[in-house]
Amino acid sequence: MTAAAIPSRRERAAARPVPWTRLTWVAWRQHRAALAGAAALLGAIGAYLAYTGWEIHRAYDAYTACVPASMRVQPLGGLVMGGPRACLPAARAFFSYYGSGQGSVLKSGLNAQTIPFLLLAVPVLLGAFVGGPVLARELESGTFRFAWTQGAGRVRQAAARLVPLAVVLTAAACGLSALFSWYIGSFVQAGVTGKYPMQLFGDMGTDFAAWTLFSFALTAFAGVLLRRTVPAMAASIVVLTALDVVTIMALRQHYAAPVVVTGDGPTGNTNLVLGNWFTTTSGVPVSQDTVLNAFARLPFGVTPSTAMLADHHWLQWWSYQPASRWWQFQLTEGGWLLAASLLLIAGTVLLIRRRPA
Amino acid sequence: MDVIEAVGLGKRYGRKWGLRDCTLSVPAGCVTGLVGPNGSGKTTLLSLAVGMIRPTAGTVRVAGETAGSLAARDLTAFVAQDAPLYQNLPVRDMLRVARNLNVRWDRERAVSRLDGLGIPLKQRVGALSGGQKAQLALTIALARRPELLVLDEPLAALDPLARADFMTSVREAVAADQISAVFSTHVVAELEQVADYLIVLGRGTVLLSGTTAELTAAHGGQSPEQVILSALRENAEHAQGQAQGVAR
Repeated sequence: MTAAAIPSRRERAAARPVPWTRLTWVAWRQHRAALAGAAALLGAIGAYLAYTGWEIHRAYDAYTACVPASMRVQPLGGLVMGGPRACLPAARAFFSYYGSGQGSVLKSGLNAQTIPFLLLAVPVLLGAFVGGPVLARELESGTFRFAWTQGAGRVRQAAARLVPLAVVLTAAACGLSALFSWYIGSFVQAGVTGKYPMQLFGDMGTDFAAWTLFSFALTAFAGVLLRRTVPAMAASIVVLTALDVVTIMALRQHYAAPVVVTGDGPTGNTNLVLGNWFTTTSGVPVSQDTVLNAFARLPFGVTPSTAMLADHHWLQWWSYQPASRWWQFQLTEGGWLLAASLLLIAGTVLLIRRRPA
Repeated sequence: MDVIEAVGLGKRYGRKWGLRDCTLSVPAGCVTGLVGPNGSGKTTLLSLAVGMIRPTAGTVRVAGETAGSLAARDLTAFVAQDAPLYQNLPVRDMLRVARNLNVRWDRERAVSRLDGLGIPLKQRVGALSGGQKAQLALTIALARRPELLVLDEPLAALDPLARADFMTSVREAVAADQISAVFSTHVVAELEQVADYLIVLGRGTVLLSGTTAELTAAHGGQSPEQVILSALRENAEHAQGQAQGVAR
């Protein structure tokens, strides 16, 4: 009943923090099921992309071997194919992987035209399902009262979970994204599509991985804020989808001041065209209707040429982002998403530190 | 020497104080019972002592270290109410998790203790009985070789037999390891059999404290149970009087 039990402070060995490797093991033990689920999902998608991509590459090789480069007409809507008659089956076979060959998205189901759209959902879902439970499950089940009172403090524990999971998830997303780039590469090379459309931009380069990381960080943060796994996932998915849409519709094209030119404008489909309009040679705007009425006899859908416009002292203007800026755009978006993710992860750790548990 | 020293300790949740101006000492080497009705601030006090929450006012030290510091965490083992553990893990992995969250860890002790209790390492934590789960939580806490064992309402979820077993385990461990233990409870009956020292908390302040013998002697030979009940009743009446005074 007396004081014998407590050694004075000098007698005790100084307390040491628990090594990170041990904490990482705990994180692994707690999340291996979620990681296995993520690996299964990514593995299934990866296997599909690898197999179909291999078929597409074979078909593309057969097509390019048959049709000389000069005769490969860029298919408009996947319809027009040039080259010798004998090459028609090879051309059809290749282009059929990109929709039914008739350009119908609905009829053809899964193909190189629809897959990129479906993949856009993967970063959001993957990040939410792995990020949701990271800390929220601890809070909602009450086990934080066990975990936060062990020798390893809660800040180190939270960091030892968030950082490795973020790294693993981002690396896995990079892998899948690289596989997708290879899968779609033949169609980009063949000039079927540029890389600026949202479904390609979001699945290639650094964008896919950046959105995955951001989704993970946002859901983990929401989990600590709401202290519930499922509501955090739901809230995060809603916010992310909204942010994704805003980015695609209103933000992305402004990462750099567009190039404005007059004349025939950018050719091909690799550029991101933002708009075109008409003025007089002295710079007074001319409405589109006025121009089109002047050329009423032109077949539908054909724009008047620069020479025809010159007769009326009109100019056509184009504003666009050139294909050469694609990587700059990727890194700009990747950059702000990375910065936002790091802030969210830091904020999550801070919340864990601050909040009365 | 005191194992917990609180000075002017207070914790406010929003506008409401969970614990206010609490100054108390918990002696080392004892099993101390922290007694009080629901809402009297027991859990708040223990949460502050184990560093789960930070004080709004005042200080609390554990075994001479600031509560919540690395040194204090290392010396304090806490078993929260309902003994929260990872239900989905087998007992073996639960031990591994605890081992990897602590620098001090005595695996031999944990395994032999579980063996003695007949708790199989292969069993999932979620499949253990309430009594076994409490014993597992206690085993993990003791394997950390703490100087202070803190138990929040350890008896609330247990049936009478498991209660007796559990408190016997605690008393044995305190004696064998020469450590201190604090447990909170709102059950007043049979306290003198499990606690050497009692602290009675009412509405966030200390009403009484002392060894069971001291309390009995100071109150004309009344049992500790009677002493506690009359102190709590007096405190409740006082509060009621105050409330009426405000109403008028």
